Amino acid sequence: MSNARTAASQDLSSCHICLKLVNSELHHCPRCGSAMHKRKSDSLQRTLALLVTSTILYIPANILPIMYTDQLSNSAGSTIMGGVVLLIKLGSIPIAAIIFIASVLVPSAKLMMMYYLCWTVARGNLGSERQRTVLYRVTEFIGKWSMIDVFVVAILVALVHLSGILVFRPGVAALAFAGVVIVTMIAAESFDPRLMWDNLEEETEDE
Amino acid sequence: MTQAASFQADADTNSLSDAVAGSTDRARIACPSCDLLFDVTDLPDGATANCSRCGNFLTTNKSDAFERVTSACIAALVMLAVACAFPFMQFSRAGLENTMTLPQTVMELWNNNMPWLAIIVASFILIIPAVVTICMLVLSITLTRNHSPSWLRQLGSTVFHLQNWSMVEVFFVGVLVSLVKIAKMATIVLGTSFWAYAAFTVLFTLAVTNLDKFQSWQKIEALAAE
Repeated sequence: MSNARTAASQDLSSCHICLKLVNSELHHCPRCGSAMHKRKSDSLQRTLALLVTSTILYIPANILPIMYTDQLSNSAGSTIMGGVVLLIKLGSIPIAAIIFIASVLVPSAKLMMMYYLCWTVARGNLGSERQRTVLYRVTEFIGKWSMIDVFVVAILVALVHLSGILVFRPGVAALAFAGVVIVTMIAAESFDPRLMWDNLEEETEDE
Repeated sequence: MTQAASFQADADTNSLSDAVAGSTDRARIACPSCDLLFDVTDLPDGATANCSRCGNFLTTNKSDAFERVTSACIAALVMLAVACAFPFMQFSRAGLENTMTLPQTVMELWNNNMPWLAIIVASFILIIPAVVTICMLVLSITLTRNHSPSWLRQLGSTVFHLQNWSMVEVFFVGVLVSLVKIAKMATIVLGTSFWAYAAFTVLFTLAVTNLDKFQSWQKIEALAAE
Protein backbone atom coordinates (compact mmCIF):
# COMPACT_ATOMS: atom_id res chain seq x y z
CA MET A 1 0.00 0.00 0.00
CA SER A 2 3.07 2.19 -0.50
CA ASN A 3 1.66 4.57 -3.11
CA ALA A 4 -1.99 4.34 -2.10
CA ARG A 5 -3.57 7.76 -2.41
CA THR A 6 -6.40 9.13 -0.40
CA ALA A 7 -8.63 11.99 -1.40
CA ALA A 8 -7.37 14.03 1.54
CA SER A 9 -3.75 13.70 0.39
CA GLN A 10 -4.79 15.27 -2.93
CA ASP A 11 -6.59 18.15 -1.17
CA LEU A 12 -9.90 16.69 -2.22
CA SER A 13 -13.00 16.11 -0.12
CA SER A 14 -15.67 13.57 -0.84
CA CYS A 15 -19.21 14.91 -0.50
CA HIS A 16 -21.04 12.75 2.03
CA ILE A 17 -24.33 13.05 0.15
CA CYS A 18 -23.35 12.58 -3.51
CA LEU A 19 -19.73 11.28 -3.27
CA LYS A 20 -18.53 14.12 -5.51
CA LEU A 21 -14.82 14.86 -5.18
CA VAL A 22 -14.23 18.55 -4.78
CA ASN A 23 -11.42 20.87 -3.74
CA SER A 24 -11.14 20.86 0.06
CA GLU A 25 -11.41 24.66 0.17
CA LEU A 26 -15.03 24.68 -1.00
CA HIS A 27 -17.75 24.95 1.63
CA HIS A 28 -20.63 23.65 -0.43
CA CYS A 29 -20.79 20.79 -2.87
CA PRO A 30 -21.19 22.14 -6.42
CA ARG A 31 -23.18 19.05 -7.40
CA CYS A 32 -25.77 18.57 -4.66
CA GLY A 33 -25.41 21.77 -2.64
CA SER A 34 -24.82 20.16 0.75
CA ALA A 35 -22.23 21.48 3.22
CA MET A 36 -18.74 20.10 2.64
CA HIS A 37 -16.30 18.83 5.24
CA LYS A 38 -13.04 17.01 4.72
CA ARG A 39 -14.07 14.77 7.61
CA LYS A 40 -17.42 14.81 9.39
CA SER A 41 -17.16 17.79 11.73
CA ASP A 42 -16.46 17.10 15.43
CA SER A 43 -17.10 13.46 14.67
CA LEU A 44 -15.71 12.01 17.90
CA GLN A 45 -17.34 14.55 20.24
CA ARG A 46 -20.73 14.26 18.57
CA THR A 47 -20.62 10.47 18.46
CA LEU A 48 -19.60 10.26 22.12
CA ALA A 49 -22.31 12.73 23.21
CA LEU A 50 -24.94 10.71 21.34
CA LEU A 51 -23.59 7.45 22.76
CA VAL A 52 -23.86 8.79 26.32
CA THR A 53 -27.43 9.95 25.57
CA SER A 54 -28.48 6.55 24.34
CA THR A 55 -26.74 4.82 27.25
CA ILE A 56 -28.84 6.94 29.62
CA LEU A 57 -32.02 6.16 27.66
CA TYR A 58 -31.11 2.48 27.75
CA ILE A 59 -31.71 2.39 31.52
CA PRO A 60 -35.45 3.28 31.54
CA ALA A 61 -35.87 1.20 28.38
CA ASN A 62 -34.88 -1.89 30.35
CA ILE A 63 -36.25 -1.12 33.82
CA LEU A 64 -39.72 0.22 32.95
CA PRO A 65 -42.45 -1.95 31.41
CA ILE A 66 -42.54 -1.98 27.63
CA MET A 67 -46.11 -3.31 27.49
CA TYR A 68 -49.07 -3.76 29.87
CA THR A 69 -51.41 -6.72 29.64
CA ASP A 70 -54.93 -6.08 30.98
CA GLN A 71 -56.58 -9.43 31.44
CA LEU A 72 -60.09 -9.19 32.94
CA SER A 73 -59.45 -6.97 35.97
CA ASN A 74 -55.71 -7.66 36.29
CA SER A 75 -53.11 -5.36 34.82
CA ALA A 76 -49.54 -6.53 34.54
CA GLY A 77 -46.56 -4.74 33.04
CA SER A 78 -43.72 -6.60 31.39
CA THR A 79 -40.19 -5.42 30.76
CA ILE A 80 -38.06 -6.49 27.80
CA MET A 81 -36.25 -9.18 29.79
CA GLY A 82 -39.56 -10.19 31.41
CA GLY A 83 -40.97 -10.80 27.94
CA VAL A 84 -37.99 -12.95 27.00
CA VAL A 85 -38.31 -15.02 30.21
CA LEU A 86 -42.05 -15.44 29.59
CA LEU A 87 -41.43 -16.68 26.05
CA ILE A 88 -38.88 -19.21 27.32
CA LYS A 89 -41.43 -20.45 29.89
CA LEU A 90 -44.03 -20.77 27.12
CA GLY A 91 -41.56 -22.87 25.17
CA SER A 92 -41.02 -20.50 22.22
CA ILE A 93 -37.25 -20.64 22.40
CA PRO A 94 -36.59 -19.36 18.81
CA ILE A 95 -38.77 -16.27 19.31
CA ALA A 96 -37.25 -15.68 22.73
CA ALA A 97 -33.87 -15.83 21.03
CA ILE A 98 -34.89 -13.32 18.33
CA ILE A 99 -36.25 -10.86 20.90
CA PHE A 100 -33.22 -11.37 23.13
CA ILE A 101 -30.77 -10.82 20.28
CA ALA A 102 -32.62 -7.86 18.76
CA SER A 103 -33.57 -6.04 21.95
CA VAL A 104 -30.85 -6.89 24.45
CA LEU A 105 -27.76 -8.18 22.68
CA VAL A 106 -27.74 -5.90 19.60
CA PRO A 107 -28.25 -2.52 21.35
CA SER A 108 -25.76 -3.22 24.12
CA ALA A 109 -23.22 -4.75 21.72
CA LYS A 110 -23.68 -1.78 19.41
CA LEU A 111 -23.11 0.72 22.21
CA MET A 112 -19.99 -1.11 23.35
CA MET A 113 -18.62 -1.42 19.81
CA MET A 114 -19.14 2.29 19.17
CA TYR A 115 -17.47 3.22 22.48
CA TYR A 116 -14.59 0.92 21.55
CA LEU A 117 -14.20 2.50 18.09
CA CYS A 118 -14.23 6.03 19.56
CA TRP A 119 -11.69 4.95 22.15
CA THR A 120 -9.30 3.45 19.57
CA VAL A 121 -9.50 6.60 17.44
CA ALA A 122 -8.94 8.87 20.45
CA ARG A 123 -5.96 6.77 21.56
CA GLY A 124 -4.27 7.10 18.17
CA ASN A 125 -5.78 4.13 16.34
CA LEU A 126 -5.10 0.82 18.05
CA GLY A 127 -5.58 -2.47 16.27
CA SER A 128 -6.23 -3.37 12.65
CA GLU A 129 -7.89 -0.67 10.53
CA ARG A 130 -9.63 -3.19 8.34
CA GLN A 131 -11.09 -5.13 11.26
CA ARG A 132 -12.38 -1.98 12.88
CA THR A 133 -13.92 -0.82 9.59
CA VAL A 134 -15.76 -4.14 9.41
CA LEU A 135 -16.85 -3.63 13.02
CA TYR A 136 -18.17 -0.17 12.12
CA ARG A 137 -20.06 -1.53 9.13
CA VAL A 138 -21.64 -4.17 11.37
CA THR A 139 -22.82 -1.51 13.85
CA GLU A 140 -24.23 0.51 10.96
CA PHE A 141 -26.09 -2.50 9.60
CA ILE A 142 -27.56 -3.93 12.80
CA GLY A 143 -28.66 -0.58 14.21
CA LYS A 144 -32.23 -0.47 12.98
CA TRP A 145 -32.97 -4.13 13.73
CA SER A 146 -33.39 -3.29 17.41
CA MET A 147 -36.68 -1.60 16.50
CA ILE A 148 -38.29 -5.05 16.24
CA ASP A 149 -39.49 -4.98 19.83
CA VAL A 150 -41.06 -1.54 19.46
CA PHE A 151 -42.89 -2.72 16.33
CA VAL A 152 -44.04 -5.87 18.11
CA VAL A 153 -45.58 -3.66 20.81
CA ALA A 154 -47.27 -1.46 18.18
CA ILE A 155 -48.74 -4.49 16.39
CA LEU A 156 -49.94 -6.27 19.54
CA VAL A 157 -51.54 -3.10 20.91
CA ALA A 158 -53.52 -2.62 17.70
CA LEU A 159 -54.35 -6.29 17.21
CA VAL A 160 -55.21 -7.53 20.68
CA HIS A 161 -58.01 -5.25 21.75
CA LEU A 162 -60.92 -7.17 23.24
CA SER A 163 -62.39 -4.65 25.69
CA GLY A 164 -62.73 -6.02 29.20
CA ILE A 165 -61.20 -9.39 28.33
CA LEU A 166 -57.74 -8.89 26.95
CA VAL A 167 -56.15 -5.56 26.11
CA PHE A 168 -52.49 -4.75 25.45
CA ARG A 169 -51.26 -1.22 26.19
CA PRO A 170 -47.87 0.31 25.31
CA GLY A 171 -45.46 1.18 28.13
CA VAL A 172 -43.05 4.11 28.50
CA ALA A 173 -40.08 1.82 27.87
CA ALA A 174 -41.21 1.44 24.24
CA LEU A 175 -40.64 5.16 23.68
CA ALA A 176 -37.33 5.09 25.56
CA PHE A 177 -36.26 2.09 23.52
CA ALA A 178 -37.18 3.76 20.21
CA GLY A 179 -35.08 6.68 21.47
CA VAL A 180 -32.10 4.38 22.09
CA VAL A 181 -32.32 3.00 18.55
CA ILE A 182 -32.70 6.40 16.88
CA VAL A 183 -29.91 8.05 18.88
CA THR A 184 -27.46 5.18 18.29
CA MET A 185 -28.28 5.30 14.56
CA ILE A 186 -27.45 9.03 14.52
CA ALA A 187 -24.28 8.25 16.52
CA ALA A 188 -23.21 5.68 13.92
CA GLU A 189 -23.93 8.21 11.17
CA SER A 190 -21.87 10.94 12.83
CA PHE A 191 -18.88 8.65 13.35
CA ASP A 192 -16.36 9.06 10.54
CA PRO A 193 -14.65 5.72 9.75
CA ARG A 194 -12.01 7.56 7.72
CA LEU A 195 -10.55 8.84 11.00
CA MET A 196 -9.39 5.27 11.60
CA TRP A 197 -7.32 5.36 8.41
CA ASP A 198 -5.94 8.87 8.69
CA ASN A 199 -3.18 7.88 11.12
CA LEU A 200 -2.03 5.19 8.72
CA GLU A 201 -1.56 7.94 6.17
CA GLU A 202 0.56 10.01 8.54
CA GLU A 203 2.65 6.99 9.48
CA THR A 204 3.49 6.16 5.85
CA GLU A 205 4.32 9.79 5.16
CA ASP A 206 6.71 9.84 8.09
CA GLU A 207 8.62 6.83 6.86
CA MET B 1 -28.57 -10.09 -7.66
CA THR B 2 -27.23 -11.37 -10.95
CA GLN B 3 -23.70 -12.63 -11.28
CA ALA B 4 -21.96 -9.29 -10.92
CA ALA B 5 -18.29 -10.00 -11.31
CA SER B 6 -16.46 -8.33 -8.48
CA PHE B 7 -14.36 -5.63 -9.98
CA GLN B 8 -11.48 -4.76 -7.72
CA ALA B 9 -10.46 -1.25 -8.54
CA ASP B 10 -6.75 -1.14 -7.99
CA ALA B 11 -5.34 1.82 -6.12
CA ASP B 12 -1.74 1.07 -6.96
CA THR B 13 -2.29 1.45 -10.69
CA ASN B 14 -3.74 4.91 -10.10
CA SER B 15 -0.72 7.01 -10.88
CA LEU B 16 -0.55 10.55 -9.61
CA SER B 17 -0.83 12.02 -13.11
CA ASP B 18 -4.02 10.05 -13.68
CA ALA B 19 -5.51 11.24 -10.47
CA VAL B 20 -4.74 14.92 -10.95
CA ALA B 21 -4.60 15.63 -14.67
CA GLY B 22 -7.70 13.73 -15.68
CA SER B 23 -9.75 15.14 -12.85
CA THR B 24 -12.51 16.56 -15.02
CA ASP B 25 -13.50 13.75 -17.36
CA ARG B 26 -12.60 10.69 -15.28
CA ALA B 27 -15.19 9.23 -12.93
CA ARG B 28 -13.42 9.06 -9.59
CA ILE B 29 -14.65 8.03 -6.20
CA ALA B 30 -13.13 8.21 -2.72
CA CYS B 31 -13.94 5.22 -0.52
CA PRO B 32 -16.52 6.51 2.01
CA SER B 33 -14.96 4.53 4.82
CA CYS B 34 -11.19 4.91 4.23
CA ASP B 35 -10.88 7.80 1.74
CA LEU B 36 -8.77 5.92 -0.81
CA LEU B 37 -9.15 7.23 -4.38
CA PHE B 38 -10.32 5.04 -7.24
CA ASP B 39 -10.90 5.56 -10.92
CA VAL B 40 -14.15 3.80 -11.84
CA THR B 41 -14.56 5.21 -15.37
CA ASP B 42 -14.04 1.85 -17.06
CA LEU B 43 -16.18 -0.22 -14.74
CA PRO B 44 -17.76 -2.88 -17.02
CA ASP B 45 -21.53 -3.25 -17.23
CA GLY B 46 -22.87 -5.41 -14.43
CA ALA B 47 -19.69 -5.13 -12.36
CA THR B 48 -19.35 -4.02 -8.76
CA ALA B 49 -16.40 -2.05 -7.39
CA ASN B 50 -15.18 -2.63 -3.85
CA CYS B 51 -12.40 -0.78 -2.06
CA SER B 52 -9.13 -2.75 -2.26
CA ARG B 53 -7.95 -1.49 1.15
CA CYS B 54 -10.96 -1.82 3.45
CA GLY B 55 -13.36 -3.87 1.33
CA ASN B 56 -16.17 -1.31 1.43
CA PHE B 57 -18.70 -1.25 -1.40
CA LEU B 58 -18.05 1.63 -3.80
CA THR B 59 -20.42 1.47 -6.75
CA THR B 60 -22.08 -0.88 -9.20
CA ASN B 61 -22.65 -0.25 -12.88
CA LYS B 62 -25.87 -1.63 -14.35
CA SER B 63 -27.01 -0.17 -17.65
CA ASP B 64 -30.68 -0.91 -16.97
CA ALA B 65 -30.62 0.07 -13.30
CA PHE B 66 -33.00 3.03 -13.61
CA GLU B 67 -35.58 0.99 -15.53
CA ARG B 68 -35.41 -1.66 -12.81
CA VAL B 69 -35.91 1.01 -10.15
CA THR B 70 -38.88 2.47 -12.02
CA SER B 71 -40.68 -0.85 -12.34
CA ALA B 72 -39.95 -1.89 -8.76
CA CYS B 73 -41.19 1.47 -7.45
CA ILE B 74 -44.46 1.39 -9.40
CA ALA B 75 -45.20 -2.13 -8.17
CA ALA B 76 -44.17 -1.16 -4.63
CA LEU B 77 -46.54 1.83 -4.58
CA VAL B 78 -49.48 -0.31 -5.69
CA MET B 79 -48.65 -2.84 -2.97
CA LEU B 80 -48.34 -0.11 -0.34
CA ALA B 81 -51.76 1.29 -1.28
CA VAL B 82 -53.29 -2.18 -0.98
CA ALA B 83 -51.49 -2.72 2.33
CA CYS B 84 -52.99 0.43 3.80
CA ALA B 85 -56.55 -0.19 2.60
CA PHE B 86 -57.22 -3.79 3.58
CA PRO B 87 -57.20 -5.66 6.92
CA PHE B 88 -53.75 -6.69 8.06
CA MET B 89 -54.56 -9.36 10.63
CA GLN B 90 -57.60 -10.61 12.46
CA PHE B 91 -57.49 -11.76 16.05
CA SER B 92 -60.29 -13.84 17.52
CA ARG B 93 -60.73 -15.44 20.89
CA ALA B 94 -63.75 -16.81 22.74
CA GLY B 95 -66.17 -15.63 20.09
CA LEU B 96 -64.83 -12.09 20.09
CA GLU B 97 -62.77 -10.72 17.29
CA ASN B 98 -60.75 -7.69 16.36
CA THR B 99 -59.46 -6.70 12.94
CA MET B 100 -56.39 -4.57 12.58
CA THR B 101 -55.28 -2.46 9.65
CA LEU B 102 -51.83 -1.00 9.09
CA PRO B 103 -52.77 2.62 9.92
CA GLN B 104 -54.37 1.31 13.12
CA THR B 105 -50.98 0.26 14.54
CA VAL B 106 -50.22 3.96 14.53
CA MET B 107 -53.67 5.18 15.65
CA GLU B 108 -53.80 2.84 18.64
CA LEU B 109 -50.46 4.13 19.93
CA TRP B 110 -51.82 7.66 19.57
CA ASN B 111 -55.00 6.72 21.45
CA ASN B 112 -52.90 5.23 24.24
CA ASN B 113 -51.36 8.65 24.94
CA MET B 114 -48.15 7.87 23.12
CA PRO B 115 -48.19 10.45 20.31
CA TRP B 116 -44.40 10.48 19.93
CA LEU B 117 -44.18 6.74 19.60
CA ALA B 118 -47.05 6.87 17.09
CA ILE B 119 -45.17 9.46 15.02
CA ILE B 120 -41.93 7.42 15.16
CA VAL B 121 -43.63 4.18 14.12
CA ALA B 122 -45.66 5.91 11.38
CA SER B 123 -42.50 7.53 9.98
CA PHE B 124 -40.44 4.36 9.91
CA ILE B 125 -42.99 1.97 8.44
CA LEU B 126 -45.24 4.13 6.26
CA ILE B 127 -44.28 7.77 5.71
CA ILE B 128 -40.54 7.49 5.01
CA PRO B 129 -40.89 4.33 2.85
CA ALA B 130 -43.71 5.98 0.86
CA VAL B 131 -41.80 9.25 0.39
CA VAL B 132 -38.60 7.39 -0.58
CA THR B 133 -40.47 5.19 -3.07
CA ILE B 134 -42.17 8.17 -4.73
CA CYS B 135 -38.88 10.10 -4.87
CA MET B 136 -37.01 7.08 -6.29
CA LEU B 137 -39.75 6.67 -8.92
CA VAL B 138 -39.60 10.32 -10.01
CA LEU B 139 -35.78 10.26 -9.96
CA SER B 140 -35.48 7.09 -12.03
CA ILE B 141 -38.08 8.22 -14.58
CA THR B 142 -36.41 11.62 -14.95
CA LEU B 143 -32.99 10.03 -15.39
CA THR B 144 -34.13 7.42 -17.94
CA ARG B 145 -35.82 10.14 -19.99
CA ASN B 146 -32.69 12.32 -19.76
CA HIS B 147 -34.51 15.31 -18.30
CA SER B 148 -32.79 17.75 -16.00
CA PRO B 149 -35.32 19.81 -14.04
CA SER B 150 -34.01 22.31 -11.49
CA TRP B 151 -35.29 20.28 -8.53
CA LEU B 152 -33.40 17.13 -9.49
CA ARG B 153 -30.51 17.80 -7.08
CA GLN B 154 -32.87 18.39 -4.20
CA LEU B 155 -34.71 15.17 -5.06
CA GLY B 156 -31.43 13.24 -5.19
CA SER B 157 -30.28 14.37 -1.77
CA THR B 158 -33.71 13.65 -0.28
CA VAL B 159 -33.65 10.07 -1.56
CA PHE B 160 -30.15 9.26 -0.33
CA HIS B 161 -30.70 11.04 2.99
CA LEU B 162 -33.93 9.24 3.84
CA GLN B 163 -33.04 5.77 2.57
CA ASN B 164 -31.28 4.72 5.79
CA TRP B 165 -34.33 5.61 7.85
CA SER B 166 -36.84 3.29 6.29
CA MET B 167 -37.54 0.20 8.37
CA VAL B 168 -39.94 -1.84 6.27
CA GLU B 169 -37.97 -5.08 6.56
CA VAL B 170 -37.53 -4.62 10.31
CA PHE B 171 -41.27 -4.08 10.71
CA PHE B 172 -41.98 -7.22 8.74
CA VAL B 173 -39.80 -9.32 11.03
CA GLY B 174 -41.64 -7.64 13.93
CA VAL B 175 -44.93 -8.82 12.43
CA LEU B 176 -43.65 -12.39 12.25
CA VAL B 177 -42.42 -12.26 15.84
CA SER B 178 -45.75 -10.95 17.14
CA LEU B 179 -47.59 -13.63 15.16
CA VAL B 180 -45.70 -16.38 16.95
CA LYS B 181 -46.03 -14.56 20.26
CA ILE B 182 -49.84 -14.64 20.23
CA ALA B 183 -50.45 -17.68 18.05
CA LYS B 184 -51.10 -19.81 21.12
CA MET B 185 -53.40 -17.23 22.69
CA ALA B 186 -55.98 -17.02 19.94
CA THR B 187 -56.79 -17.64 16.30
CA ILE B 188 -54.99 -15.33 13.90
CA VAL B 189 -56.14 -14.80 10.33
CA LEU B 190 -53.77 -13.07 7.91
CA GLY B 191 -55.41 -10.43 5.73
CA THR B 192 -54.76 -9.18 2.18
CA SER B 193 -52.73 -6.31 3.56
CA PHE B 194 -50.25 -8.70 5.20
CA TRP B 195 -49.29 -10.22 1.86
CA ALA B 196 -49.29 -6.82 0.17
CA TYR B 197 -46.89 -5.46 2.78
CA ALA B 198 -44.67 -8.53 2.33
CA ALA B 199 -44.55 -7.82 -1.42
CA PHE B 200 -43.90 -4.15 -0.72
CA THR B 201 -40.93 -5.08 1.49
CA VAL B 202 -39.37 -7.16 -1.30
CA LEU B 203 -40.02 -4.58 -4.05
CA PHE B 204 -38.80 -1.67 -1.93
CA THR B 205 -35.56 -3.51 -1.12
CA LEU B 206 -35.14 -4.29 -4.81
CA ALA B 207 -35.54 -0.63 -5.76
CA VAL B 208 -33.12 0.57 -3.07
CA THR B 209 -30.41 -1.95 -4.02
CA ASN B 210 -30.69 -1.11 -7.72
CA LEU B 211 -30.43 2.64 -7.25
CA ASP B 212 -26.69 3.22 -7.04
CA LYS B 213 -25.76 6.45 -5.30
CA PHE B 214 -22.59 7.17 -7.26
CA GLN B 215 -24.02 6.32 -10.70
CA SER B 216 -27.18 8.34 -10.03
CA TRP B 217 -25.20 11.44 -9.13
CA GLN B 218 -22.88 11.03 -12.11
CA LYS B 219 -25.95 11.00 -14.34
CA ILE B 220 -27.60 13.95 -12.57
CA GLU B 221 -24.40 15.95 -13.07
CA ALA B 222 -24.03 14.91 -16.70
CA LEU B 223 -27.61 15.94 -17.46
CA ALA B 224 -27.22 19.28 -15.68
CA ALA B 225 -24.11 20.05 -17.72
CA GLU B 226 -25.89 19.59 -21.06
